[in-house]
Amino acid sequence: MAEVCECLACHIGVTIPDFKLETYEPAKGDFGEISLEALKKNKKWTILFFYPADFTFV
Amino acid sequence: MAAEIITVSTDTKFVHLAWQREEKDLANVKYPMGSDPTGNLARMFGVYDEATGLALRGTFIISPESKLLNAEVNYYNMGRNIDELMRKFKANLYLAKKTDEGCPSKWKEEGDKTLKPSAKLVGRVHEALK
Repeated sequence: MAEVCECLACHIGVTIPDFKLETYEPAKGDFGEISLEALKKNKKWTILFFYPADFTFV
Repeated sequence: MAAEIITVSTDTKFVHLAWQREEKDLANVKYPMGSDPTGNLARMFGVYDEATGLALRGTFIISPESKLLNAEVNYYNMGRNIDELMRKFKANLYLAKKTDEGCPSKWKEEGDKTLKPSAKLVGRVHEALK
């Protein structure tokens, strides 16, 4: 059985609080950081695409 | 594109680099690969599996105003359909401009029939979409 908590997925329409992630950016071949706040400033839509693990199918 | 696609797993950015370099299917990847080693972001979105320490296949579309507009979560063993993701994304872009309309299930792109909720439409959706 998968054990997951009840969170934002059940709350379509809510405002997502700011978050930051360290990234690897293949386009630059370098590490970086991304935040929702920065995307908001650039008026960008955000598509988050979660998957279980690298080196498996996505 | 008007959207930033960010892939997220609990792997570190170092593993993302190694995987992207090794896997030929990822040779043309342009999107940032996000690292969530604590699982905190996955928890926030309800896709963190405490039993395995992995994130389920969750897809979330967030507007430029930080509003969560779509969520889809699949179990480990099922991949996602990118056509459906793009359909939802295009519908969001359209609906952001046309705030008094709705995109029905068969809507695929701008120009396809939409619905305008009104008294006239009640019980007449079939005719409106014909």
